[in-house]
Amino acid sequence: MLFVSLRDLQWRRRRFIIGVLAAGLVFAMTLLISGVSASFGHEIKQSVAAFGADAWIIPSDVSGPFTSARVFPAAEAQQIAALPGVTGAEPVLLMRSSVKTTSVHDINVVGIPTGGIIAPKLADGHQLSAPGDLIVDKTLHVKLGTTLHVFGRDFTVVGRTSGLTYFAGIPVAWVRLGDLQAGAVNGAPVATTVVVRGTVTSPPAGFLSISNAAVRHDLGRPMRKATSTIGFINLLLWFVAAGIIGSLLYLQAIERSRDFAVFKATGVTTRTLLWGLAFQAIALALSAAIAAYILSIFLAPAMSVPIVIPKSAYILLPVVAIVVGLISSIIPLRRAVTVDPALAFG
Amino acid sequence: MSPSVVGADLAVRDLVIEYSSGGYPVRPIDGLSLDAAGGDLVLLLGASGCGKTTLLSVLAAILTPTSGTARVAGVDVVNLRGPALTSYRRKTVGVVFQAFNLVPSLSALENVMVPLRGAGARRRVAHDRATELLERVDLQHRLHHRPAEMSGGQQQRVAIARALAHDPPVVLADEPTAHLDYIQVDGVLKLIRELADDGRLVVVATHDERMIPLADKVVNLTPRADTSPREPVKIELAAGQEVFTQGDRGDLVYVVETGEIEILRTRDDGAEDHVATVDAGSYFGELAPMFGLQRSATARAVGPTTLTGYGLRDFREKFHLTNEAKIIAQAAD
Repeated sequence: MLFVSLRDLQWRRRRFIIGVLAAGLVFAMTLLISGVSASFGHEIKQSVAAFGADAWIIPSDVSGPFTSARVFPAAEAQQIAALPGVTGAEPVLLMRSSVKTTSVHDINVVGIPTGGIIAPKLADGHQLSAPGDLIVDKTLHVKLGTTLHVFGRDFTVVGRTSGLTYFAGIPVAWVRLGDLQAGAVNGAPVATTVVVRGTVTSPPAGFLSISNAAVRHDLGRPMRKATSTIGFINLLLWFVAAGIIGSLLYLQAIERSRDFAVFKATGVTTRTLLWGLAFQAIALALSAAIAAYILSIFLAPAMSVPIVIPKSAYILLPVVAIVVGLISSIIPLRRAVTVDPALAFG
Repeated sequence: MSPSVVGADLAVRDLVIEYSSGGYPVRPIDGLSLDAAGGDLVLLLGASGCGKTTLLSVLAAILTPTSGTARVAGVDVVNLRGPALTSYRRKTVGVVFQAFNLVPSLSALENVMVPLRGAGARRRVAHDRATELLERVDLQHRLHHRPAEMSGGQQQRVAIARALAHDPPVVLADEPTAHLDYIQVDGVLKLIRELADDGRLVVVATHDERMIPLADKVVNLTPRADTSPREPVKIELAAGQEVFTQGDRGDLVYVVETGEIEILRTRDDGAEDHVATVDAGSYFGELAPMFGLQRSATARAVGPTTLTGYGLRDFREKFHLTNEAKIIAQAAD
């Protein structure tokens, strides 16, 4: 009897297509929002890994290297490098600034020693080698050779990274440690963290050693409220999708009341009718899921924050879509069940 | 193409059907009994609202009567439930609904396949059976047409083919000639007659008296007005005494000689709505005998009251209501 439901969908194909597009757009929004939420974790993972650290040394009264700007003498790095188990240690100064290209953009500025253990992976250009050199992420949309004015100094873009951002898509700009000290702290030889290769069993007094995982956790903390809000909005969007599918099917059930009455009067069981309506709900939801895949491909590049749609979201979408479709068909199903076959004689 | 189930007899006894309409109890069928056998074409004849379709609904096991019994092809349709009810609707009766009631999204073939597929028949089996039935009603050239692409007569034939899907011994048809022009009626009437000739019991609800010559039995559900002369009846009532009760059949029109009569309509919950008060010199209760309807209200004496009850003919003469509509045109013979 599924052929009856299929024919009905074909018969009302314009409405079906509108429903698929509307629900598909909502599903696409859930995919994109999931992508935004996932991108927060992804960018943190990428950016922390770019330092190539085994451990991070920070003042013991701060929670992490990226979320506090507590400075200490950069010379601490030499003492740390001498600790047993440590194969390398470099001072890093982390600051926030803004830069004007076609418009004003925030950037995360990282001051690192040149020729040391920290060398971000480049998409193009070369590593920092001379004063005034700057490496920046492609998300800032500047070309190699562009001059950027940062902390009162002119820098030339000599290299570009790909996907190194944090704090929701703010690109990382790498400069020589001395350049950043000169521009941001009047030349004071200070750092905010020490990146360590090897293991630190006993950090110097007033400092503590934290792992990459702890750094990622701390860096994700400011985004946590945003992430939970996004999750809630995602849930609301599922309800919107359920509403679209449900109202469409309810309208269908109202219009088909006489058909249902005739079916019942000719001995078609209520269960068979329910399967037919459930089939329509699933067909609508799955078609919307396919539309969502396609829409998300086209919409993702238009978003101003990097979108990383997790594979799990792609796999989960059709499953959730079916559940949404079935839940939203409860009221239309109820309507079909209560149709009086006597209506066929009306 | 004769039905596979024999013994398509119909036995209805003391059938009463009452339901609520607009808050008032309506009893279109009141104590009906009738018998018919396989091969009979039975016409349920009557005006709109007389209970034809209601009776068909009972025979189709779609409506449960208030009281009485109805046995169709040996099956007590009043007490059918669950799988037995489904089986009855599938195998024992086929219904041709008024206005065809075909599914607009399905082709003729698919419309006929629905009851077969709904009963679990394989696609190929349902397809072949539906094709055979549509060929039987001369629609082999319209198999893949949707209802909107067919004439009313063709749609009605698809509806008949659908009713025959399970080769039932009983076919019920509700106003099969409504919505059809005379060319289309011709084919449909022949088809319905053939169904009965095949040994089926065919019950047709219609107000179309042109079908009477086709029928083996006619059940007139609208009593004709009794215009035979009869003596006026004097009636004396005490306060609160009823002349007639809502739902009664009636053949007298009453004139109030002295006193007053209150006309009341009883609701479902037993409450009474006041309709009118009739005083001396006025009459009431004329519609039921004129149109063969049941009394739509109760008439009760307000105080000591004297009435005269007249037959319809005397009433018309007394009140000079003998004018008949003038026929201003006549179809050619």
